[in-house]
Formats: sequence, C-alpha cells, structure tokens
Amino acid sequence: MSPPSATPTVPPRVLAHVFWRSLFLQAAWNRRGMQNLGFAYAIEPALRVLYPEPPRYRAALSRHLGFFNCHPYMAAAIVGGAIHHEERVAVGAEPEALPVRYKEALQGPLAALGDGFFWTALRPFFGALAALGALTLGAPAIVAALVLYNAVHLALRLGLFLAGHRLGDAVVGEIARLALPVAAGRLRVAGVALCGFAAAAVLVRGDVAGGAGAAALAGIAAGAGYVALARGARLLPTAYVATLAGVAAAALAGRIHGGL
Amino acid sequence: MGYLVLALVAGLAAVERKGFLQAMLSRPIALAPAAGWALGDPAGGVVVAPPLELLWLGSVNLGAALPVHEALGTAAIAGGAVLAGRALGTGVTPEVAVLAVLICAPLALLGRKSDRLVEIWNERLSNRAVAALAAERPRVVDVNLLGLAAPFAIAAVLAPAGAAAAAVLIPRLLRALPSADAPLRIGWLAFAAIACASGARALRAREASLTFFAALACAAAAGLLLGRVPR
Repeated sequence: MSPPSATPTVPPRVLAHVFWRSLFLQAAWNRRGMQNLGFAYAIEPALRVLYPEPPRYRAALSRHLGFFNCHPYMAAAIVGGAIHHEERVAVGAEPEALPVRYKEALQGPLAALGDGFFWTALRPFFGALAALGALTLGAPAIVAALVLYNAVHLALRLGLFLAGHRLGDAVVGEIARLALPVAAGRLRVAGVALCGFAAAAVLVRGDVAGGAGAAALAGIAAGAGYVALARGARLLPTAYVATLAGVAAAALAGRIHGGL
Repeated sequence: MGYLVLALVAGLAAVERKGFLQAMLSRPIALAPAAGWALGDPAGGVVVAPPLELLWLGSVNLGAALPVHEALGTAAIAGGAVLAGRALGTGVTPEVAVLAVLICAPLALLGRKSDRLVEIWNERLSNRAVAALAAERPRVVDVNLLGLAAPFAIAAVLAPAGAAAAAVLIPRLLRALPSADAPLRIGWLAFAAIACASGARALRAREASLTFFAALACAAAAGLLLGRVPR
C-alpha cells in the first residue's frame, strides 16, 4: 500500500518511548476492547508528535481506542506498522482509515502465530528446560534458561517493532521468513522430551531416597498421570489424586513391610 | 515483615504475568526461587519450582481464555513452604513442600475467578478513557496503568494469606503425625512425576506420548544403571 522508503517523521527517542509503553499493552485487558486501551497508550507519544493540532490528535487517538487484540509480543510489529501508516496519514499521503485497516488485517493472523510459537512452544520449552536444569544442576540453570529466553523474546519483540515501523505492510514478508510454525513444531517435541527427562530425574531421585518401590511409584504416577490427562482428566484433581495415592501407598507399604 | 515482602513479590508477579512485559519472571520456575529469596531461603524456592513449572506449563493466556493463576498459586506455595520450613527448623523438605502444594494450589483456581473481576474493572477504565477523550481531557490513555492495580492488590492479599495458612497448618500436622514424614516424601515424588506428565501434555506435540515415554524410559534406565543421581 505504501512505499517502505517513505521518510519517517517520528524521532528515534519517541519510538523508544512507544516501544517501552508497548510492554504495557495488556495492562487494562478487557472483554470488550481487549487491548484497545493498551494500544492507544503505547502509540500515544507518536501521535502527539505527528498531530500537534488537538482535533487531529484526538481523532487519531480515538481510532486507536477501538477493539484490538493480538499476541503481546507480535503486537509490537503492529504498533510499529501503525506508526508507519500514521506518519503517512499525518502528511496526507494516506487516508485516515488505513492504520485501522492495517491493524484489523494483521491482528488475527499475528495473534495465531504468536500464540502458536511463543505461548505453546518457545516459553513451555524454556520452562521445561529450566525445570530439568533445576532438578539436575540447581538454580544457575534457571538463571541461564531465563536469560536465554529473554534474549530471544526481547530481540524478536524489538526487531518486530522496528521492522513494522520500517516496512509497514511488508513486515508480513519478514515475519513469514522467520518460519515460526516450523520452529514451534520442533520446540514442542523437544519440550516433551525434556519433560520425559525430568520425569526420569524424579524417578532416579525416588530410587535413591526410597528404593526401587519409590522409583516404581514415581514411574506409575508419571505414566498413569499422562494417560489420565490425555483422556481429559482435569489437572488439579488428577494431581491431588496422584499425590494422595502416593502418600497412601507409602503409608500402606510402611505398615506391611516397614518401608516402600 | 516476611508477609509484606511476599505480598510485594506476589503482586509484582501478577502484574508481570499479563499486564507488563511477560518475560517468564512470573512463571513458577522464576517466581518460586524469587519468593524464597525474598523470605531468606532461595534454595527452598528452588525445591518447589520445577514441579510447579511443569504442572502449570500449559497455563497460558490464549485469546480471551483465562488460565489458572499459576503465579498466585506459586507465590503462596513457595511462601508457605519456606515459612513452614523455618517454623520447623528444617527448611523446605519434600514433606513440607507437598503439604504446601496440597494447601495452597487451589488459590490458582481462585486467582482465575479474580481475573474475571479484573477484566470488568478494566472495561470501566476503557470506557472512562473513551469518555475523557470525547470530553477533550488531556492524557486520557494513562488510565491504562491503573489496570495494573487490581491484579497487584489481589495477589498481594491472597498469596500471603495462603502462605500464612500453610505456615500455621504444616508444622502442626508434621508435629502431630511424625510417622507421616516418609509417606509424604513419596507423595512429593508422585506429585513431581505427574507434574512432568502435565508438562508433556501441555506442549501438544505430535507423537507426544511416544516422545515422553521414550525419553523417560531411556533417561531413567541410564540414570539407574549408572547409579548417578542428579542433585
């Protein structure tokens, strides 16, 4: 729609301010407008620069108070892209409706992409990695996993914001090049394997702490728990049943054999 | 003083979880050690962190769906375990940890209900911003930040309350039933094991069953054969 080479008019200092405020995108998440207030809050410093005349500023802010919902990381690309379009609206190169159309077109697909990559793959992978690290190596593994996750997260979030601002609509091609769904599939499988390793670490600990019986019980809890959850059992009740069954089995074994 | 510090940590975690940043700092794996550290026992927090992270690995905000409030549950569990361990003079042992989970985990469900109330409060903020803009008032969108107040306050109240309940009940239970120590240690193992299964299920990977059980079997066989215990 618009040439990526158009000269930006929002200075870098203001862009940095907008990026910072975009981290509060979900501060006032609500059912009706979802991230509407957060989006308007994020982009407001740029609108203040672009529209010194109060009526135009209010009109611009008003169009960004409309419904908006996206993945909070991926939304950075849309915030950047909306500024890209507002810069052109401000000089009369584009119609006022274009920034809103841009947001409407991208929010759904980017939400799905972000949920699928960050929320159900990258973050659980690093969560499982940190948990396994904590079980086997201790606290330093947690710190390392968190630093690594945030290096990826913040680099992508800032990169998407800058790419959105620089490229406008063409940011879609940049995002497609990241091949996030492919990476997500691999991370999920790796994350499941990490959970299996973590279960093995628990089982081996059981062997040391309580002998073969304790290790067997941990193995049964992991296996039966997995099957129960796969069949739709609710998480917390299942966890309570497994835990209390373990306690009961150990108490019973203690009475019969003097130990599990 | 400990409860005030825990309230602050839990409140900040509730804010980070959804309203600001989302950098995994409110995930159980980070929050439990942080809560332990705030109460003077980071190692105690590390004891409970891995199973809680894996148990609630699938607790994510997808669209408008509300997951359980894993940060609230974690702050209460970690805080309760550390405070109970201190009262007993043992630190966070498996038997203390499992009782803290059993007492405080339902707070995660209560937190989800409270999230609904937060959304209603936030809708009022949104409406207020729209009305203020129409009235030509300045800085109308700054009310966005007020949306952080309710999650902070709810977690800052409920997490110390849960931890206090655990800190009172756990020492009494363990002193009244000294023979329960060994079964409770096994119960902690069972909890940690099912938490691993929950984590594997949450990832929704292709061939998840095969991958999970193969990884478990191979690593367990290697660990048992080598006789090396990861600590």
